[in-house]
Amino acid sequence: MKLIACTEGHSSKIEAFSLEMIAAARSIAQAGDEVVAFFAGRDAEGASASFGAADRLIVARATKSDVIPAETYALLLRDVITAESPGLVLVPYSANGLDVAADIAARTGWPLVSYVNEIKRHGESLTIVAQMYGGKILAECEMQLPAILMINPGAFAEAAPGAITAVSVQTIDADPALTSGKVKMVAIDVPDYADVDLTTAERIVCVGRGIGDEASIDLARNLATMLGAEIAGSRPVVDNGWLPKLRQVGKSGQKVKPKLYLALGVSGAPEHLEGMSQADLIIAVNTDPKAPIFNVAHYGATCDLFDLVANLSDRLRAGSGR
Amino acid sequence: MNILVVLRMIPDSAGELQLAEDGRSIDREWLDFQLNDFDDHALEEAILLKEAGGAKVTAVAVGEGANRVLQMAAARGADEVVALQSEEDAMISSREIAASIAAMARAKSADLVLCGVQSSEDVFGQLAPYVGALLDWPHVSGTNRIVANGAVLRVTQERGAGVAVTYELATPAVLGVQTASKAPRYVSGSKLREASKTPIGRATPESSGFERSAEIITLRLPVQGGSGENLGGNAETVADRLVSILAAKGLARN
Repeated sequence: MKLIACTEGHSSKIEAFSLEMIAAARSIAQAGDEVVAFFAGRDAEGASASFGAADRLIVARATKSDVIPAETYALLLRDVITAESPGLVLVPYSANGLDVAADIAARTGWPLVSYVNEIKRHGESLTIVAQMYGGKILAECEMQLPAILMINPGAFAEAAPGAITAVSVQTIDADPALTSGKVKMVAIDVPDYADVDLTTAERIVCVGRGIGDEASIDLARNLATMLGAEIAGSRPVVDNGWLPKLRQVGKSGQKVKPKLYLALGVSGAPEHLEGMSQADLIIAVNTDPKAPIFNVAHYGATCDLFDLVANLSDRLRAGSGR
Repeated sequence: MNILVVLRMIPDSAGELQLAEDGRSIDREWLDFQLNDFDDHALEEAILLKEAGGAKVTAVAVGEGANRVLQMAAARGADEVVALQSEEDAMISSREIAASIAAMARAKSADLVLCGVQSSEDVFGQLAPYVGALLDWPHVSGTNRIVANGAVLRVTQERGAGVAVTYELATPAVLGVQTASKAPRYVSGSKLREASKTPIGRATPESSGFERSAEIITLRLPVQGGSGENLGGNAETVADRLVSILAAKGLARN
């Protein structure tokens, strides 16, 4: 059986989770199986230099666009699926993967399970553990091959990076598909970190939905100032316009690794944990004792966050002699 | 431009979820249902597009409390509202409803289908790419800005780490909205009362046309607590402990 591990990159950068897709495929490959990495993008050389853990690499080389629109990626992948007849296609849970996985499922009719943490194989069927309800529930599912899985970043340890032998690399020209595609990339905006760069912050106070309203953010901001910390927010807080986008932690925001991460009223959806679970010290305050944030916290408290902020601020103020 | 926007009712994300006796589903009896947050943003983006350049917005809602949310959608500016029937006490699988949404897009001559990028019940795949593939229309998910210039859409997509990619595509199209260009608006009680008279259309679901994706064998709660220490629920003692923890690690002050 062939297993296709979908990998990604944009501009001149390979996405780190690409090596996790290869590792996930490798983890259930049996003797005689072949792990085929599929890459579409500008950095064909980077893919060849990194994906040695795969048995074979199919590169769709693009020269006309820094980003491959998901529509084009899916079209190229469909051709590969037709040619290779794989038993399993592994797609990362990424901005691109969110469009690719179900598109391929709809057009092949194959089963799809998303947000996958674990895979076990029994011959022609799989047992999958997938996240539902913002990580509050785990679903154990059974599915038949051929199938498509959308894998959570971080669920599998990265395969060792290394070059793949040139004879195992097959190159496709992605440019015709890019030219004829209906979705055209017109701009990439990379944020200006002049104001704030959470990725280098040593201390972060992050507020979640539990903060309640915009006015209350000032209380958390004052506490952050006392701790010498940057203020940050989870997606709902930023979506509400209460904090600027550059201060968002999580999948669609920044991935951070501070020495201190104080989470106030953050439930800890998987997308948030992806951005902060590697912090050295995580302290979480949430009135819901079942909030998933407690699964990664080193210290957790279930008191009212406003009571805590008031008490903690008092003590820090007293301690500093002010 | 005709816009079809999909509104899915899902269990309240802040509420506690309990497993049903069969071990394969969640207990829905005492659950509060609310509009999927991302669908709320999709509705807002639809209304913003209508205000910017004129459009007819049809809102289709599915799930427990659909009528209530459709009245809200009408109050916010939807021109037509339709409730899509769904199986009672079952999760709303985007794979299952995609064919119904695609059929409705055709029936309403939609130029643009908007829905939230994800929902908490889309474990078998996301709605925008399913509908896009069924209609063979281009689709882009994770948008945080949509601008229409006639039949040409300019769409910005969040890629993580603050990177945003802008695409251009022509209608007809399907977009999975992450964030509306502006935060969803508040509607006053008087507008809601006025909108409560809006007639709600009914639609019966189409067969999904897909084979079942996978069978859920069991649901379980994640192992709780990890290895962290529980400091309890008293704010004063928690604050005392945190001060000493931070001091011990040299993190209390600069």
